[in-house]
Amino acid sequence: MSNEVTMARTSTAREGITLASQVRRATLVLATAAMLGALALPWLSASYATTLAIEIMIAGIFASGINLLLGGTGLVSLGQGMFLGLGGYGVGIGSTVLGLPLWLSVPMTLVVVAVLAAGIGAVCTRTRGVEFLLITLAFSQLFFGAAIKLRLTNGSDGMSGIPRPDLTFLGLNGDNPVVFYYYVLIVTILVAAAMWRIVESPFGSILAAIRESERRAAAMGYAVSSYKVGAFIIAAVTCAVAGILQSQYTYFINPDSMSWQLSGEGVLMVIIGGTTSIVGPLVGAAVFVLAKQGLSILTTEYMMFFGIFFMLVVAFFRNGVVEALKSALWSKP
Amino acid sequence: MQVFLTQVLNGLQLSMLMYLLAAGLTLIFGLMNILNLAHGAFFTLGAYCGVVVAGSTGSFWLALLVGPLLPLLLGVVLQSMVLQPLAERGRSTHLDLALLTFGLLFATAGAVEWVFGSAFLSIPTPVALSGHVNLLGISYPVYRLFIIGVGLAVAVGLTFVFDRTLLGATLRAGVDNRAMVAALGVNINALFAVVFGLGAALAGLAGVIAAPLTSVYSQMGITIVVETFVVVVVGGLGNLRGSFYASLIVGMTNAMSQAYLPEVEMFAIYALLIGVMIVRPQGLFRNVERVA
Repeated sequence: MSNEVTMARTSTAREGITLASQVRRATLVLATAAMLGALALPWLSASYATTLAIEIMIAGIFASGINLLLGGTGLVSLGQGMFLGLGGYGVGIGSTVLGLPLWLSVPMTLVVVAVLAAGIGAVCTRTRGVEFLLITLAFSQLFFGAAIKLRLTNGSDGMSGIPRPDLTFLGLNGDNPVVFYYYVLIVTILVAAAMWRIVESPFGSILAAIRESERRAAAMGYAVSSYKVGAFIIAAVTCAVAGILQSQYTYFINPDSMSWQLSGEGVLMVIIGGTTSIVGPLVGAAVFVLAKQGLSILTTEYMMFFGIFFMLVVAFFRNGVVEALKSALWSKP
Repeated sequence: MQVFLTQVLNGLQLSMLMYLLAAGLTLIFGLMNILNLAHGAFFTLGAYCGVVVAGSTGSFWLALLVGPLLPLLLGVVLQSMVLQPLAERGRSTHLDLALLTFGLLFATAGAVEWVFGSAFLSIPTPVALSGHVNLLGISYPVYRLFIIGVGLAVAVGLTFVFDRTLLGATLRAGVDNRAMVAALGVNINALFAVVFGLGAALAGLAGVIAAPLTSVYSQMGITIVVETFVVVVVGGLGNLRGSFYASLIVGMTNAMSQAYLPEVEMFAIYALLIGVMIVRPQGLFRNVERVA
């Protein structure tokens, strides 16, 4: 945001227009390149890259859900892991305990998550700032405890045997990493497109208004609390989608997916990528997963460097990698 | 009845341990508005310092004295050299600084694991405090009574400092109106650093005295910090006296649910927190606090 302001101040209107079109063209080129790369990836490189890409996309969907609250509405939640876990457990219970097919258990899970999120969101959005952060954390710890204690969810061992989609009617095998990769890729594109539609819609504009000044939005006659609950529900469902994919990817779900560390990692992904764009959370997820992988290859003590890395990101790249790249590429002296 | 009494004492002991952590956390929040997720890191560091000192000198008492020093130093450095400059450069104290301390929490856990490995360590209970004592018909470990004593002593000491000294008056004024205190010529940054350091030292002290009871491992601080947040919120953010009562409530809830309702043990305190935030989002004890 501040970059745009300084840009407008330092350059003349004309330069601004050419700059804007340059940016747009470059973004288009980059997006096309990324898309082609994503499509071609399984042929270009070894299966390791494919699994990494799957992890990045799942983390990216999770971060997108968080960003609708954080970047879109200005609400910092430290409890989105609970919806990731609920998504995974929903499919786990639906498929393994109730024996339902995926086409039934997935929509049911999403509906249940939406209903739960409506209730939880109604409570949480009464608070703001640090209180919002803490109450979302408390709710996620509540579900974390329930997942460990309940017999239905098999305690801290978690549930295994979560099925991947059955694609035999297309002549494909969902257990094949490449097939699963394209399945996740399609879902990621759909989620990103939906996020873009939401943020660009009047609904998204009102969320932005709430982020900038809740009082003014209320004074203009918008039912601020309903909009916040709405954003909370959409974010929860998005995180649940990531949880469903995650549990299908590993055939497994355990309480760790609801831990507050995981919620914090999601927030950090959003901060790394930047909150101002739809691709930010995806880029943040990519940096996060690659850094984690790279560090754990280089050293067994990755957690220390991981922590230091995040402190540096928060201290020096607050606006995110995407904004930093933009200003590095197109900044004028 | 005897089982119940033991549970009450256990709850009291847990409460006092939580209070040592919560006191620093709530003051840091009340004064600087920083949600210090790294508070658990100071707990871990204190415990490991204690293990090293007790291991090399064989003296628990020296460990108790030296253990909080490293957290104290780190707390002062962190606040005055990292958090304060960032806050002055316009970083959001709620989000950015909380995330930075989140990173620090993990960096510390990783660093500790790097140096000490992932083994579970412990400090042997000092001879003078080992053994049991007969109390109201039950036999209770002396060391746990010692923890209760330390907690109460710290509570009395902090209350005295807070209510009766110049530092305390400045602190209360700072919680009320930071800008006004700065305008009156108080070096508010130095005050912040001192409070941050003292809070960290208290967390380190908690780490040392917890070490003979629980195992010392690299992620011990990560688990306890969330429970400490429950205490701080139930007591009212920034409310020292409130966090004392709240640590009693939370510690007792925890101990009682562990003993009598193990099914709800993992989430009883979080249900309590949610209840408090719905009914009294400002904390249970906001009105108890005397506003100077």
